[in-house]
Amino acid sequence: MEDDRISLAHGNGGRFMRELIEEVFARHLGADELDVLADAAPIELNSSDVLITTDGFTVQPLEFPGGDIGGLAVHGTTNDLAVAGAKPLYLTLNAFIEEGLEVEVLDRIVASLAAAAREAGVQVKAGDTKVLRRGEGGGIYLATTGVGVRLPGVKPSIHNVRDGDVALISGSVGDHGTAVMLAREDFGLKGDVRSDAGPVMALTEALMPFDGLRFMRDPTRGGIASIANEIVRATGLGVRLEATIPVKDPVQAVCDMLGYDPYYLACEGRVFAVVDPGQADAALAAWQALPSGKDAARAGRITSTDQRVILETPLGGERFLEELEDDPLPRIC
Amino acid sequence: MAEIARNVVDGLERTERIVLSGHVQGVGFRPFVYRLAKQHGLTGRVRNQLGAVEVVATGPAAELIRFEQDLIDRSPPLAKPAIDSVDVVEYQHFDAFEISASSASETPRIFVPQDFFMCDECRAELNDPGDRRYRYPFINCTQCGPRYTLIQALPYDRPNTSMAAFPLCPECEQEYRDPEDRRFHAEPVACPACGPQLEFHDKKAGVVAAADQALDAAIDKLHHGHIVAVKGIGGYHLVCDARDYTVVDELRWRKHRPAKPLAVMFPLEGEDGLDRVRQYADLSTAEAALLQSPARPIVLVAKNGNNDLARNVAPGLAELGAFLPYSPLHSLLLDGIDAPLVATSANISGEPVLTDNDEVETRIANVVDSFLHHDRPIVRPADDSVYRRIGGAMHPIRIGRGSAPVELELPWRQSVPTLAVGGHMKGTVALSWDDRVVVSPHIGEMDSPRSLKVFEQVANDLQHLYGITAERIVCDAHPGYTTHRWARRQALRVESVWHHEAHASAVIAELDGGEPHLVFTWDGVGLGADGTLWGGEALLGIPGDWRRVCSLRTFRLPGGDKAGREPWRSAAAMHWACDKQWAACPDTDGLAYAAWRKDLNCAETSAAGRVFDAAAALVLGKTHVSFEAEGPMYLEALCQEPAAPVGMPLEKDASGTWRADWRPLLRMLGDESRDRALRAEIFHASMARLVLDQARAVRDEHGVSTVGLSGGVFQNRVLTDQVLELLRGDGFEVLLPSILPVNDAGLSFGQAAEIAARDSRH
Repeated sequence: MEDDRISLAHGNGGRFMRELIEEVFARHLGADELDVLADAAPIELNSSDVLITTDGFTVQPLEFPGGDIGGLAVHGTTNDLAVAGAKPLYLTLNAFIEEGLEVEVLDRIVASLAAAAREAGVQVKAGDTKVLRRGEGGGIYLATTGVGVRLPGVKPSIHNVRDGDVALISGSVGDHGTAVMLAREDFGLKGDVRSDAGPVMALTEALMPFDGLRFMRDPTRGGIASIANEIVRATGLGVRLEATIPVKDPVQAVCDMLGYDPYYLACEGRVFAVVDPGQADAALAAWQALPSGKDAARAGRITSTDQRVILETPLGGERFLEELEDDPLPRIC
Repeated sequence: MAEIARNVVDGLERTERIVLSGHVQGVGFRPFVYRLAKQHGLTGRVRNQLGAVEVVATGPAAELIRFEQDLIDRSPPLAKPAIDSVDVVEYQHFDAFEISASSASETPRIFVPQDFFMCDECRAELNDPGDRRYRYPFINCTQCGPRYTLIQALPYDRPNTSMAAFPLCPECEQEYRDPEDRRFHAEPVACPACGPQLEFHDKKAGVVAAADQALDAAIDKLHHGHIVAVKGIGGYHLVCDARDYTVVDELRWRKHRPAKPLAVMFPLEGEDGLDRVRQYADLSTAEAALLQSPARPIVLVAKNGNNDLARNVAPGLAELGAFLPYSPLHSLLLDGIDAPLVATSANISGEPVLTDNDEVETRIANVVDSFLHHDRPIVRPADDSVYRRIGGAMHPIRIGRGSAPVELELPWRQSVPTLAVGGHMKGTVALSWDDRVVVSPHIGEMDSPRSLKVFEQVANDLQHLYGITAERIVCDAHPGYTTHRWARRQALRVESVWHHEAHASAVIAELDGGEPHLVFTWDGVGLGADGTLWGGEALLGIPGDWRRVCSLRTFRLPGGDKAGREPWRSAAAMHWACDKQWAACPDTDGLAYAAWRKDLNCAETSAAGRVFDAAAALVLGKTHVSFEAEGPMYLEALCQEPAAPVGMPLEKDASGTWRADWRPLLRMLGDESRDRALRAEIFHASMARLVLDQARAVRDEHGVSTVGLSGGVFQNRVLTDQVLELLRGDGFEVLLPSILPVNDAGLSFGQAAEIAARDSRH
C-alpha cells in the first residue's frame, strides 16, 4: 500500500486493488477462511435446516464509543440469525469504500470486523470491494450476508406470541442509539454512554432449551417500542411494557435533555424475548447468569385487552407508544 | 271544520296541539304541564315524544293563550322549553288532563340532560328526621339529581338508566306513578328501602361499614387526618381536610402532584349557602351566582388571606377553586365534617376521573387509606366543571359534570353527520349533524389508554343517545395526536383541520358566524400549515376560509415534548436565537445548546404560550414545572397593577404576516435590577398591547372591527382583562367564548364548525 487514503484505483481491478484486499482484508480475516483468489467458496452445513439473512450498514460516524461499523456488520447479521434460533456459521462481506477514506481507518474497521467474527464464531467466506467516488459514500458502507443452521428446540416466531406471555429484555435499552447520536453530532460530551453492540448468541442459545420460548428479536432500529408495535400488528394482541425495563442513567439523562424516548432508540447487542409466563422466571435467571445478560429484566406482558403498545410508568400512569413517526413533532404544552 | 270555527268565533272551547322542544325531558316538565293545565282548567293530555313534548289541550281560547304563556314563563328551573308549534285541531272532548305514555316520534330533537345538584326541597327532606329519606345519600326528584352519568339509552326512562338494577319499593313506585308528586317519573328515584347504598372499605380492615355507618366511618377517617376516596356523581374524589397541611402534603406526595392547585368543597351555610366560602374567599356577584347554580361547578375565586386553609392547597396562587356540595352524599359529608374538604378528581394524572369501584381500588390503592363506595354504577365519567371570571363575566376552563354535554347550534349545516375528535390535551369529542353540535364533557389528556377508552365510549354513546350515526370524522391535522391516529384507523372518511383554524372557528361559531373577523389564537402548541408550531397567531377570515395575518418572531425550541414541563427551554431558546447565552440556563454541559445548534429534535415555533413560559422562567427562575402553565400562573398571580408596556416592533414578512419581535421583552424580563412583580406586570401589559397593535395593523389594512380571542393563553385574566379594555377602548368589538373553554377543550366544536362552514361554501 503506497497511499494512506483510498483512491479510485483501489477499485479498478489492478494492483492497487489486489494489495488492498491482501493487506487489509485478507490479513485480518485470515487466508484460511477467505480464499481471495477463488470465484466461489465451499461451505459445510451439516443440517437441512439452513437460515440465511442479509443486512447493510451505513452508520455514521464509522467509529463510536463501544463499537464501529466493522463490528456492527458482523453483529447485525449474526444476531439476526441468532434471534431466529440459528447458530451463525458463515458470512459474506461487501465493502463500498469512498474515495479518500484513510487506509488506517479502514484497517481498524476490518480488524474490528474480524475480531467480531471470531467472537461470534463465524467465518467470512466470500467478499467484494468497490470504491465509490468522493462524495458518493459515507466513508464506507458494508453489507453482509449470513448463513447459519437452526439449533434444536422450538422455532421462535412472532406468530407464536400468545395472550398472557411475558416479555424479557436482556439488558439496558437505548445505549447504542444514544452513543451513536452523541458521536455523530460531535457533542464533545465527556460521558460514559457506550454502544451495547455485541453478539447475542450466548443469550439466544440460553433460551433455546425452553419449550415455552415464543419469539426473540434484537431491538435495532426503532428500539423495543417498534418490536412491540410489530407484535401488535402481527398478532392482534396488545403489549404492555413495564417500568422494569432498564435504562442506564447517562442514557436517560441524554434522552431527557434532548427530548428523546429511549424505548425508540436502537440496541445492537440486546435480545427482546417473549416466553410462556410459567417459564419467564427461569428464562430470566438463565440470562442473568450470563455476562451479557446480567442486567436482564422483565420487559412486559402480552395482553388481549388493548391492541396497542402501552407503557406503564413508575407512577402508575399509562401511555401509548405509537409506531414511530418519521419526524415526531411536539404535541403537548 | 265548521265546529272548530264556531267554537273560535263563540269564544267557546277549542282544542290545540302544542309541541315543545328544548330541554324538556328529565327535568319534570310533563308533571309541570299536568299541574299547569289543571290550574288553567284545561283538559287533554301531555306526552313525551322522542326529544319533544306534545300537549293536546281543550279549553277556552283565552285560557289556552295564558296556558301557553305560562308553559314558558313558569317552567321548572332546569327546563329550557321552546314552543315549536301551536295548531288548532279538531275539537276533542276529554274528561280530565292526563299524562300519557311516551311515543316514539318521527321528529327526534333529543337533548341529553346534564347532572344536577340537590334541590332545596330534597335538601329539606334529607335533613328532616321525620322523612323516610332522612339522611339518604341518593335522594333526588325531577328537579335534581344525576342524569348524564346514569343514562344508558334514550328515551330517558328508568329501565334505560343505571337505576334499572334497583326495583322500586311500593312507596317509591307510588310517587313515581303519581302525576301530582314531585317524583313523578323522577327516573333515579330511590329510598333507603329500595335504592343504592353506601359501603365503607378500609384498606387494612376490609369492608367495615355499610349504609349510614359507612358515612360516619368516612367522616371519622377524615376527622383523623386520613385521605378517603369518595364516589360521587361523575366519578370518585380524593378527599381530605383542607385545613390540615400534613394530610394535604401526604396527598400531594402520594398522587405525585407537588404543586397543582386542589379544589376545595365548602359546607353549605347561611341564606345563600355561601357563608362558609366567604370566610375563605372574596366573591363577586357573578361568582356567587355560579357557585349556587344547578351545575355547581368549581369556581376560581380570590383567596382572602385570613383563614385556616392549609397553605399547600393552592400554593403560589391568588385564587382558590371552590365549590359547593352538589349531591346529597356530598352534602351529608360536608355537614358531618363541618369543614372545607379538598375534593380533587381521583385519577392518574391527565386521565379521566375513575368511576368503577374495583378500578379505583386497584389504580389509586397507594393514594388513599379508605374508600366510600356506593353501588349505583356511573355509566360514564364526568369531571367537575371549572369556571373563572374574565372581563367581569364567567368563562369555563373545563366543561364537565353539570355543564356538559353542551348543545350548540351552528350557523351552517353539516353535509353529513360528523364526529369531531378534538385535540390531544383536554380532550372532548363533538357530534354534529344538521346545524347541531353536542360537545362531550372533558375527557382528559389523550395519550393514555383510559382516556382513549372513555373517548371511544363517549363517541359511541353520543351517537347512540342521539340516534345519529357519524359518516365522517374530522380531526386535528397533527399526525402524532392520538385522536388523529384513531380517526385514521376508522372506516369513515376523515378530514383534518389545522389546530388554530379550529380555535378560530370555535369562537365565531359560538358567538357570531357572519362577517370576516380577526381571531387571535394564542396557545402552547399546535401544528400550523407551514409545518411549524403555531400558537402566537391571528387569523383573518370566516370559518372555512382563514388566513394567517399576525404571528410572532419564531424561534427553535429544543427537546420536543419536553418544552411544556421545562420552561427553561423556551427562555434558553429565545436567548440563543438572539446569539446570547442565559446565565441561569440549567443546560450546564451544553448538550441542549449543541442540539439546538445542530437543529436536532428542535421545532420552530411562534407560540405565545412558550413566550409566557420563558417569562416565568426568567422572572421567577421557574425552570421546571409539574403541570401545564404552572409558571405563567404564578407570574399572573404576581401582578398587582397595570404597568407601561414594552413595545414590540411589527414587521411584515414575505408572506404578508405581521410578525412581532419579542426581543425587547427578553431584555426587560432578564433585567434583575427591576422588581419581579413589576417585570410580570410589564410583561402582561406588553403582550396585551401587542394584541392591540396587531389588531390595529390588520384593521388599517382590511377594515375589520371585530376581534375574537381563542386559545389557552386567554385564560390568563391579567392579560385578557387588559386586552378587552384596550380593544374595546379602541373601538373593536371583542368576542370571547363563554359556553366552551378557549383552551383545547373547544377544538372539537371548532372542528365541527370549520368543516360545516367548508361544506356550506361548496
